[in-house]
Amino acid sequence: MTETAAGIRIRPLDELDISAIVAIDEAISGRYRPEVWERRISYYLRRAPEASLVAEVDGKVAGFMLGEVRSGEFGLEEPTGWIEVLGVDPAQRGKALGRKMAEGMLEHFRTQGAHSVRTLVDEEREDILTFFSSLGFEPAGLRPFVKHL
Amino acid sequence: MNVKTSTLPKPFHQAVLRWKEVFLPDYDFLLENWDKHFPNDSEFQLCAYRELGMCSEIECGDLKGKPKFQKAGEMIPEQAHHLFGAIRAQASTEFGSIQQHRLTLARAQEEEEQFWILRMMAEELRHGYQMLHLLVEDDWSSVSKESASDLIEDVLSMNTGSHLLGAFNIDFDSFVDNVVFCALIDRVGKYQLAMQKISAYKPMAESMPQMLREEAFHLAAGVVPMRRWATAAARGETFVTMEVLQKAINKWLPRGLEMFGDERGGGTNVRFGLKPMKNAEAQAQFYQEVEKLVRDLNLRYLRARIADLTHAGSEEALDRVLAGETVAGVRREDLLYVPAMEFFRRRGVPAFRLVGAQGETFATVAEYLQHLIRTLPEAYRASRDFKDYVEGLTAVEEGRMTAEQAAGRMPALRRVAGACPCSKSVRWMVDDPAAVTAVSAAGPAVGQPVA
Repeated sequence: MTETAAGIRIRPLDELDISAIVAIDEAISGRYRPEVWERRISYYLRRAPEASLVAEVDGKVAGFMLGEVRSGEFGLEEPTGWIEVLGVDPAQRGKALGRKMAEGMLEHFRTQGAHSVRTLVDEEREDILTFFSSLGFEPAGLRPFVKHL
Repeated sequence: MNVKTSTLPKPFHQAVLRWKEVFLPDYDFLLENWDKHFPNDSEFQLCAYRELGMCSEIECGDLKGKPKFQKAGEMIPEQAHHLFGAIRAQASTEFGSIQQHRLTLARAQEEEEQFWILRMMAEELRHGYQMLHLLVEDDWSSVSKESASDLIEDVLSMNTGSHLLGAFNIDFDSFVDNVVFCALIDRVGKYQLAMQKISAYKPMAESMPQMLREEAFHLAAGVVPMRRWATAAARGETFVTMEVLQKAINKWLPRGLEMFGDERGGGTNVRFGLKPMKNAEAQAQFYQEVEKLVRDLNLRYLRARIADLTHAGSEEALDRVLAGETVAGVRREDLLYVPAMEFFRRRGVPAFRLVGAQGETFATVAEYLQHLIRTLPEAYRASRDFKDYVEGLTAVEEGRMTAEQAAGRMPALRRVAGACPCSKSVRWMVDDPAAVTAVSAAGPAVGQPVA
């Protein structure tokens, strides 16, 4: 648990954060999807409860970042940290919550033996691309492919 | 993260496996279906984990800053006595909860939720194993005359009714109990584990991190089904109504509050560096978390009942309903509430007070019992536990006993002969109140929270 600035706290995710994450997702996407987040958060709490983080501003959850260390994905045998989903309450942007959560998550990944961190970003999301670039992420040799069924 | 894995000496390991065959017969079924329900998760292992590289200095109390103890024999006897009681109580709760969960596990309506609980039971078995490992690995002769095998036998022979804490002596009546127990009683467990993570006894502190990781999912295994049930109840789609959920909360929350120990206590544990918080402080934090849980469940219910609500709109609507207004047909009594801290208590400061679920008070036992009939699950009211509570309450109200005596008098199943985990040689025993008072003064008695 880290106090990073006055009123801002980064801490591991817990099961009582579901409602706040549903609300942040709704504020970003316009969709109310509690079932999705209940299942997804259960997954991360089961797999690696210390890896996924939330950012609190004045005691209220204002951002979340979910991820874990995995091995054997896409032929990457070494332990690799994966940042899989993140969200920051639009009303709380500009407080570097994403950066603070990423720093906490990367530090945790290091303690888990990961030497690299990966993520996938929609090329049309300039804001997310800029965010990860600012953290030192760079394009990797893996290209995503999709076939619609 | 550097974790050391170890197992109990073979005879003790075998004893746990035999216990598992009796009380967790679905264990092999869980492992056979592990990949289906928990794909890519590490395979479950029945072993003890110790996290290495943790803080080596005592983190609170009189000896703060001194090196942590590696052996019980390095501690003063009173300190070791407290620690020993905590380990034994922790072991009792872990095995005890499995015995409770198994009664109603098969009644789950959803396979996913059933497997969540089954996984949780296996992990509780590992937690109990972890505590036995602490009892076996060290020499506790300064505080107990029992051999290691006697200590293990003692814990493994406990059953619902003979465990050290009240919450683990109450039978489950339906799968609702499995779920609400996880959301409330495992939450107390999380507090105990988090506090013990700073224990001045290093093997205890090192045992906590993996247990806490597993406990995080146990809480989700309670909270997520409760959220789903609240949604289904709002849509009128289910058999688990808000009233059923409320009564289950009323049944378990008082026992959870008592697991922290007497509200006036806990200072000794802090002084000895075994826990960072006194009982009342930890209990208050726990209660606040339950308030958040219940508010979230109510919001989930409202969103399902009232179409087109936004998040902010649902918060506002909830506040209006809680203030007594009817909003889109939703009344205050349709929602859940957190029972008052003094409600239905048998230990601690509010023991045997006539305080209702919403903080109201009653003048007579008869009126209070009518209230309990309305607020507690019917199946639970038919239990021995409830009958004993009523007898204690009546004795206190008639002045035949003090609340402390009545608390000590709550009957417990005791082993009267034999040691086999499946032994039938247990009887309901009631302690003489005078003897209980004397024992309480000397140390934790059976049924008394340790801490």
